[in-house]
Amino acid sequence: MLSYILRRIVATLPVMAIVALFVFSLLYIAPGDPAVVIAGDQASPEDVERIRQSLGLDRPFLIQFGSWVWRILHGDLGTSIFTNLPVSTMIGQRLGPTLSLMMVTLLLTIVVAVPLGVVAAWKAGSLIDRAIMGFAVFGFSLPVFVVGYMLAYIFALELEWLPVQGYTPLSQGVWPWLENLILPAIALGCVYIALVARITRAAMLEVLQQDYIRTARAKGLGQGGILFVHALKNAAVPIVTVIGIGIALLIGGAVVTESVFAIPGLGRLTIDAILRRDYPVIQGIVLLFSFVYVLVNLMIDVTYTLVDPRIRY
Amino acid sequence: MDRRTVLKGLAGAGGLALTGLSAPAIAQGAAARTLRFVPQANLANFDPIWGTQYVVRNAAALVWDTLYGVDAKLQPQRQMVESEETSDDGKIWTFKLRSGLKFHDGEPVLSKDVVASLSRWAARDPMGLMILAIQQELSAVDDRTFKWVLKQPFPKMLYALAKNNSPCAFIMPERIAKTDPFKQISDYVGSGPMKFVKSEWVPGAKSVFEKFADYVPRQEKASWLAGGKQILIDRVEWLVMPDPATAAAALQNGEVDWWENPIADLVPVLKNNKNISVDIGDPLGNVGSFRMNHLFAPFNDVRARRAVLMALSQEDYMRAIVGDDDALWKPLPGFFTPDTPLYSEMGGEILKGKRDLDAAKKLLAESGYSGQPVTCLVAQDQPITKAQGDVTADLLKKLGMNVDFVATDWGTVGSRRAQKTPPGQGGWNMFHTWHAGADCINPAPYTAIRANGDKAWFGWPNSPNTEKEVTAWFDAKNLDEEKAAVGRLNKAALDDVVYAPTGFFLTYTAWRKNVSGITKGPLPFFWGVSKTA
Repeated sequence: MLSYILRRIVATLPVMAIVALFVFSLLYIAPGDPAVVIAGDQASPEDVERIRQSLGLDRPFLIQFGSWVWRILHGDLGTSIFTNLPVSTMIGQRLGPTLSLMMVTLLLTIVVAVPLGVVAAWKAGSLIDRAIMGFAVFGFSLPVFVVGYMLAYIFALELEWLPVQGYTPLSQGVWPWLENLILPAIALGCVYIALVARITRAAMLEVLQQDYIRTARAKGLGQGGILFVHALKNAAVPIVTVIGIGIALLIGGAVVTESVFAIPGLGRLTIDAILRRDYPVIQGIVLLFSFVYVLVNLMIDVTYTLVDPRIRY
Repeated sequence: MDRRTVLKGLAGAGGLALTGLSAPAIAQGAAARTLRFVPQANLANFDPIWGTQYVVRNAAALVWDTLYGVDAKLQPQRQMVESEETSDDGKIWTFKLRSGLKFHDGEPVLSKDVVASLSRWAARDPMGLMILAIQQELSAVDDRTFKWVLKQPFPKMLYALAKNNSPCAFIMPERIAKTDPFKQISDYVGSGPMKFVKSEWVPGAKSVFEKFADYVPRQEKASWLAGGKQILIDRVEWLVMPDPATAAAALQNGEVDWWENPIADLVPVLKNNKNISVDIGDPLGNVGSFRMNHLFAPFNDVRARRAVLMALSQEDYMRAIVGDDDALWKPLPGFFTPDTPLYSEMGGEILKGKRDLDAAKKLLAESGYSGQPVTCLVAQDQPITKAQGDVTADLLKKLGMNVDFVATDWGTVGSRRAQKTPPGQGGWNMFHTWHAGADCINPAPYTAIRANGDKAWFGWPNSPNTEKEVTAWFDAKNLDEEKAAVGRLNKAALDDVVYAPTGFFLTYTAWRKNVSGITKGPLPFFWGVSKTA
C-alpha cells in the first residue's frame, strides 16, 4: 500500500503542473492590472507603467511563467504584489483559521448527519424519516450567508452566547478557539449535513434489506448493534466518498462563511487577492487547493481499507 | 498494507496532533486600553508613498509624522517643524526641526531623513512633482535645518507639505526613504505617535498599532493632522470586516469599538442602540462623478456632454447612493467641496432646476449622435459605482442613447479606463467613480478637474480655459484671488464638461459610547480618543 500511496503522490505532479499552467495563463489574459490598483487614482500612466516594470509585469508571458515555475521548484511561492510578504507566509497566516473551520464543520457533520441518516433509514417512511428529510431539504435550500446571519442574530446579538465574528488561535485555549467556530461551522455545515444525511439514508436502506441483517435480527442482536455495527459499516463506502467530495464544498463555502463571520482564513484571502489581481497569491492558493483535492482523494481511497477489509492496494 | 496498518498509523498521527493541541497556551499580554476599530478597507500594503489608497494614508498617519499638518480650518500648521523662513524672492525655504524628535527605533529625526523622505514623496505626489520641476536644491544644512532652493517661487509650499491628500509628505528614516518610490518598503520604522506591529499584521484581517512612548507631541490642541497628537490608548487594533452586516453586529455586541463607515442601510439599526453613537464621519464628504471619454464620439462633442448634464438629476444619483436620509446629501452645481472656502456655483445653472429632457435630446441630436453604442463601465463590486451606473443607464436610455452596459468589477474598470483605444476595441465611453471631498477643496490635489488633454485624468478632457484658471489659482497671492480663480475654473469646467458631478454625499461613522474624543475629519484621528471599560 505504501508504494500505492507513493505512486499516487507522484501522479499528482503532472496534475499540479497542468493546474499551474492553466491558472497562470488564465490570470495573464484576464482583464485588470495590479499596477493600476497600487498606483491609485491620482497616478499618471507613466507612474503605472513604472510600477508595472518594477513588479516585472511588463515581461513576456513565457519569461514570467518560467521564472514563476523556477521559483516554485525551489520551494518559493513568490511574494505578494501588494503586501510585499512571502506568499507562503500569507498562506501560513490563513491556514489555521480555515483548517479549524473545516475540521469543526467536518466533525459536526459526521456527528450529526450520519446518525440522522441512520435513524431516517431505520424509520423509513415514518414521520421521523420525513422530518429528517425535510430538514435535509431545508439545509440544501438555505444559502450559507442566510443561515449565518440568522445564527449570529439569535445566538450572538439576542442571546449573547457566542461572538459574532473573529477567530482565536487554538494556542489561546480550546474554548476561545471553539466559541468563534461554532456558529460558522453550523452555517457552513448545513448543506453538508443535509447531503451526508441523505446519502447515509440511501446507503443504509440498501444495506438494511440484506440477508445478513435479517440474520443479525434473528440472532437477537440489539437495534443499535445492527444499525451502527453491522449495517453502517457496510454502508460506509459511499458515505466516506461523499464526505471526501464534500470537502470541496467546504472550501467553496468557506469563502462566504469567512466573510460573514470575519474569519481571517484562506477563503477571504482568495477573494481579496482576486479583486486586487494579486497574481502570486492567487497562484499560490490555487496550487494549494488543487494539492488538497488530490490529497483528499488519496485519503478517501486509503479510508476505504478501514471500512472494508476486502479492499487492498 | 491493510486496515490494521492504517489504523496504527492513524493512531500515531492522532497522538501527535493531540500533543500539539494540548500544548500550553502562550501567555498573552494584557489587552488593557485597546481600541478595536473597523477601517473602511483592508490595509493591503503599508507604504503610503508607493500605494496611495486612503486606507494606507489613514494608517500611515498614525505611524509617520509630517512636517506640517492641515487643521480643521484647512490651514497648514507646523508639526515636526519648529520654524521656517522664506527668502525675499520666495525661492529659498529654510526649515528647522523641533528638538527631541525620535524614530521608533530610538534614532533621532535628522535633516538627512527629511531630505530623503521629501525626495521620495515629491517623485509621486502631484504637488511634489510641481516642486521638483522648479527645484534647484534640497539639502540638509545641519542636523535640524534643511533648505529647499527653487528656481521660482512656490507659494503653496506649506500646504503641499501639510495636505492630507494621498500621498502625504510623511517623514521616514533615511535608509527607508531612499527606497525607489516605485518600489514598496518593508521596514516600517516611523516617526509618528504609534508604532506599527509588523509581527501581528495579517493583511486583509488585522493590523495592530502600539503607542510610541518617546513621541513628543506639540503643546497645541490637536486639530486634524495638526497640534498635539496625544495618544490616550495603548493599542489600536484594525479589524477588517468585509461584510457590513457583520461589522454592525460586532459593534452592537461590543466586539469592536468604532466602525469607520457604516453603510446607510444599517445606520437606523445602530441609531436605535443605546450604547452606540452615530454621527457624520467626514464633513468634507464625497463628490460623485461619472466621466465621459473626450476622445471618441459621441462625447468628443461638447454638445453631447452638455446634453447629458442638462438631463441628469443629482437627486436621483444621491438617493441611489445614500437612500432616503436627506442629511447625507446635497446638490452640487459645481466641482468643489461645499462649505469650504473655495466652493463655487459659478456656471452651475446647467445642473440646477427642473431637468429639461426635450432640450437635452435636441442638443444631443445637434451633436450628431446617431445611435451608436455608448460603452458604460460600471463596477458592480463597489456599491457607489453600481448605484450611479444604474441611474446613468436609465438617464442615457431616456435620452434615446444606445447603452452598452458593461457590468464588471473595479479592478477591470481601473485597467480598462486607461485604454485610449475606441470603445469597440477595448476602450470605453463612460465610467463612474467618486472623489473624497478632501481632494476637491482646491485644484492642487484635484487630479480629476485637470483638463490638459493627453496628460489629464481618464477621459482626457482638453479645456484650455480650465487649465488657465488652475494656473491662476496656483499663482494667487491671497484668498480672494484664489476664490476668483476657482469660480472661473468651476464655470470653465462646467462649460466644457470636464466631468459630470453627480452630487455631494456624506457618510456616517459609529462608535460605542464608552469611547470618547472622536472628531469629524477626512480621516479617522486616534489622538485624543479614549475608552472606558
